Amino acid sequence: MTKSDETIITIENIYKFFGDIEALSNVSLKVRKKEKMVIIGPSGSGKSTLLRAINRLEGVDRGKIVIDGQDITDRHCNINKVRMELGMVFQNFNLFPHKSVLQNLTMAPIKLKKVPPVQARENAMRLLEKVGIKEKATAYPSQLSGGQQQRVAIARALAMNPKIMLFDEPTSALDPEMIGEVLDVMVNLALEGMTMVVVTHEMGFARQVADWVVFMDEGKIVETGTPEHFFQSPEHPRTKKFLSQIL
Amino acid sequence: MRDKNIKIDVTDGAAIPTRRDPGLFNAWRVTLIGTVIAIVSLVIFKPDPYLRIIKFVPDGILITFQVTFLSIALSLIVGLFTGLGRLSKNRAINLIASVYVEVIRGIPLLVQLFYIYYALGTFFRIHPFTAAVTAMTVCYGAYMGEVFRAGIQSIDKGQTEAARSLGFSKSQTMFYVIIPQAMRTILPPVGNEFIALLKDTSLVSILAVSDLLRRGREFATQTFAYFETYTMVALLYLMITLILSKIVSIMEDKVKPYDQK
Ligand SMILES: Nc1ncnc2c1ncn2[C@@H]1O[C@H](COP(=O)(O)OP(=O)(O)O)[C@@H](O)[C@H]1O
Ligand SMILES: [Mg+2]
Repeated sequence: MTKSDETIITIENIYKFFGDIEALSNVSLKVRKKEKMVIIGPSGSGKSTLLRAINRLEGVDRGKIVIDGQDITDRHCNINKVRMELGMVFQNFNLFPHKSVLQNLTMAPIKLKKVPPVQARENAMRLLEKVGIKEKATAYPSQLSGGQQQRVAIARALAMNPKIMLFDEPTSALDPEMIGEVLDVMVNLALEGMTMVVVTHEMGFARQVADWVVFMDEGKIVETGTPEHFFQSPEHPRTKKFLSQIL
Repeated sequence: MRDKNIKIDVTDGAAIPTRRDPGLFNAWRVTLIGTVIAIVSLVIFKPDPYLRIIKFVPDGILITFQVTFLSIALSLIVGLFTGLGRLSKNRAINLIASVYVEVIRGIPLLVQLFYIYYALGTFFRIHPFTAAVTAMTVCYGAYMGEVFRAGIQSIDKGQTEAARSLGFSKSQTMFYVIIPQAMRTILPPVGNEFIALLKDTSLVSILAVSDLLRRGREFATQTFAYFETYTMVALLYLMITLILSKIVSIMEDKVKPYDQK
């Protein structure tokens, strides 16, 4: 894979405290356009906090985060504009239950980007086809399986035409037989060249698409490397221990 | 999806007949039929004074309805802002809304009525009807505020996060995502408040507002038929609240799960 050298996410020395808990401690990283970064680590190590800091769902206490040239840690930054460039997929899908699948996809483009409704619907149908769930356009989220809901959630984020996609354990709430269908969608997205930051325990996925794997523990980045490096010769003892537990 | 059955109760309203509670439903039917039979037979078998009472009070019923519906509409608006204020991260707004609720909940409605009409009336003239609607709105706005707050809080935080991550602002998230969902939890207790409010409008008769109770009193003092008049007034109130509680229960039935629209 050829990459451009253009950095799209820059994180410099960020810290985040929840009371006495240091959820992020001096974390720095860079993601270039079209890169796929997978973040792994034990529960409570700060993976979600890091991901949520990238679109400021969680504000940081110190440090700097620049997304596509915009410093989101600057108080004057229009975060709503930046978030339109950042799709986010949650563990619990968080679809809007009072809206049909189609409306879940069209709402943000129509209200926020002033896309004409007809065009928004066409685009939504195209995305639903892409995630393999076109026939459910008029259904409500409660009528879908977990795997289907998560695919709709991915399509909803894509409907805003984002430059970056963030995934926070997108398959962790799914029954095992549904994990594959969601991962397939994510792999296809990766092949299309989307910039992705993914928190996951799916090591097969990491191996297949990741350019970089980041291992976190206790709010710190312990080790960063290619998937080959991680799965063949991890350096840090904590990384070794973690990998031996999940592989 | 997560279909939490959250029940919010603030003031005690009337029992809402629901088919899920057959006992209550039957009680409602028996009471309504009994009330109607009582009114009709009193009027037929003893037209003097009952028929005369029935002819005397309709103006009052109209005023009762006017006070009720104006106060409901206004207190819904006040309630929405109070509820949002109580949830606001802005300290000043939050404090103002919370103090308002505390103050109002701690003062009997009758005292509030007197206060607005007589106490504030020493500074500027207030029409009794205006004073009545104002007092009911101020009082029920606080109650509705608590209902709205609980309804909004019952919505999963993930909904806000999903909306914000798409780029919706705080207020857009509130109006497009949170409030439409909160409406389902809010509707039943709001219905209860409607009925409680209707009953409480009888207090405004004290301010020389010619509502149903006031008209009854006028009739009774003219004719000295106290027993007959207040019997009829009570029956009429009962009939109105029974019908209103049925309307509320029909509204509640309309709030179906999202996938059954
Ligand atoms: N909103 C919060 N309030 C308090 N503590 C939190 C909050 N969110 C996360 N934490 C704490 O911060 C640490 C990192 O959490 P998180 O980023 O969710 O970890 P991970 O996603 O790796 O499991 C944990 O100790 C967690 O308990
Ligand atoms: Mg997490």
